[in-house]
Amino acid sequence: MITKRQLGIAAVAFGLLVILGTIGVDLAGAGQWSGFGPLQRIGIGAGVVAIVVGSILVRLGDRPA
Amino acid sequence: MNPTLSRVLKSLGILLAVLAVLAYIGYLIVYVAYAVELFHWPFDYDQGEGFELYDAVLYSQGEWPYRDNATYPFYASNYPPLFHLLIVPLLPVFGARLIAGRLLSFVATIITSVAIAVVVRRKIAHAEQSRRDGWLIPIISGLGFLASNYVYQIGPLCRMHMTMVMFETLAVAFIAEFEHPKHGRRNLILGLLMLLCAGYTKQTAVFTVVAGLFYVFLRDVKKAILAGAALAVVAGAIFGLLNVATDGQWWINIIQANVNEFDYRQTIFLFGQWFRLHALFVLLAVGYLVYELFWDRLSAYSLWFFFALGVGALSGKWGAGFGYFNTAVAAACLTSGLALGRLRNSDWAPFGREIGGRNTQYAIRPLLTVLIPLLYLLQAPRMLHLPTSGPLFGPLARALGVDDALIEGDCATFQYHDAMGYTQLGHLLTEDDYATGEEILRYVRTADGPVFSEEAMFSLLVGEPAVTNPTQLLNLYNNGLLDTTEIVERINRQEFGLVIFRAQFYPPPVLEAIGQNYQPVAHPCMNGFYYHLLWPKRVIDGP
Repeated sequence: MITKRQLGIAAVAFGLLVILGTIGVDLAGAGQWSGFGPLQRIGIGAGVVAIVVGSILVRLGDRPA
Repeated sequence: MNPTLSRVLKSLGILLAVLAVLAYIGYLIVYVAYAVELFHWPFDYDQGEGFELYDAVLYSQGEWPYRDNATYPFYASNYPPLFHLLIVPLLPVFGARLIAGRLLSFVATIITSVAIAVVVRRKIAHAEQSRRDGWLIPIISGLGFLASNYVYQIGPLCRMHMTMVMFETLAVAFIAEFEHPKHGRRNLILGLLMLLCAGYTKQTAVFTVVAGLFYVFLRDVKKAILAGAALAVVAGAIFGLLNVATDGQWWINIIQANVNEFDYRQTIFLFGQWFRLHALFVLLAVGYLVYELFWDRLSAYSLWFFFALGVGALSGKWGAGFGYFNTAVAAACLTSGLALGRLRNSDWAPFGREIGGRNTQYAIRPLLTVLIPLLYLLQAPRMLHLPTSGPLFGPLARALGVDDALIEGDCATFQYHDAMGYTQLGHLLTEDDYATGEEILRYVRTADGPVFSEEAMFSLLVGEPAVTNPTQLLNLYNNGLLDTTEIVERINRQEFGLVIFRAQFYPPPVLEAIGQNYQPVAHPCMNGFYYHLLWPKRVIDGP
């Protein structure tokens, strides 16, 4: 059984990965936009939401997810 | 609460509940009328229908639809086989006619609707079995699915979308009960089987597969790993066998041909439209997801709703559209029903307060009996769609004030209103459409050579095989996977006796070759679209 805390940690890790990946595509030169494109802004937003939700879940402890 | 006020609220609740059910039954009538109309229409209503039927015809002849697109007849399917295989037993009854697939898809939507109602009823029934209005939420959850503009428009088409949604709904319903003390193992196996069926009906079911397995994972990690591995082995084995049997064409046509350009603006627009049309269902589903995430345990239904949004996120893909939201519509209807059931069955005592010598907890339940049908009634007009002419729908449209809100096609005005705005689907056919279809068929029958048509039914209706699948050719061409040498050579030799264009979704070299060797002879208007009929120049120039 997965707990709220474990789910929260996974969500935070996922959010960080999304943000890093979103920033990383610029380093790889991918995408059709110069600078920070609209899809990247959406990606960053999704990553931040995942981190916020995950952080709340972490505080809920060992209750079943 | 004052007994008189309580009686008034109860009576008002019953009245609103009856009105709400009538409104959604009205949508059901509109849906059935549209479906019956399409059952009679022999031509493609949506451009892909004939091709899906042709896949079934090929299976019935023992042939694969996953072929080399570079060689005659330049045709291949880009969808998995299950929907087309399910049509095969209907072909001896209906022949190679679209009604076979349309009936199947229509039945799938009815099954999905009933499944949603049954799940909601079973989940919220415990505390209210004795209540007369215990069926209101389940019934409207099920009917709400059929009332969706998206489900209405696509439901009775010979397309695989709704059959996939049916399998997805059944899969989630079974997997949600995988911990059942008596039937847990059976439910899990059936759920996995339904997931397999959904995935082999349409690729986008992968999001429901993730949702189902994630739900099991949250509750039983070991079982989730075993179930996931079993599903992967079976699905992978079928995938591998299909690829070997088709000499690699399965991979090219199912996977590689579906990698298309993505327009995020289309996704954002469709998310907005989906929310605007289904606001109540979506808000309740989101609320229930948040509630379960932070205050309760996540259910299979909330997770399904969440992951279904992932399918919606793919709707910006070229060739995709609002059909990618049908899974999310089903999940929202089901989850919103659970949310309202939860609200009504909740113990409101902790929220009760003594006000003026009375406890407010006793006021919440009567208020909910009014509020719930009222919410459903407020949602109903958000999805408004109906034909605006005819003996039944004409007066109804006038009464609703939408009789003059028509939709403009390319070459005709549809006597149809839809809250989603412009749409190519949903309207009924006219006598002129039938006559024009017959006129095009006369060109097909007298063609001096195979017919190069952007829609398959013109060929199938005269007993000829489909030649070309335009969007598949275009997808492959755009991905650098199509050799156009043979098709262009045949066009240059003017081997095709007739070319029928509608949207001209062919690769540029093909369109260029046709432009040089074929000449327009007619532009009939059918079903709101211009069809461009072209003869080879050798015929026009004479011997």
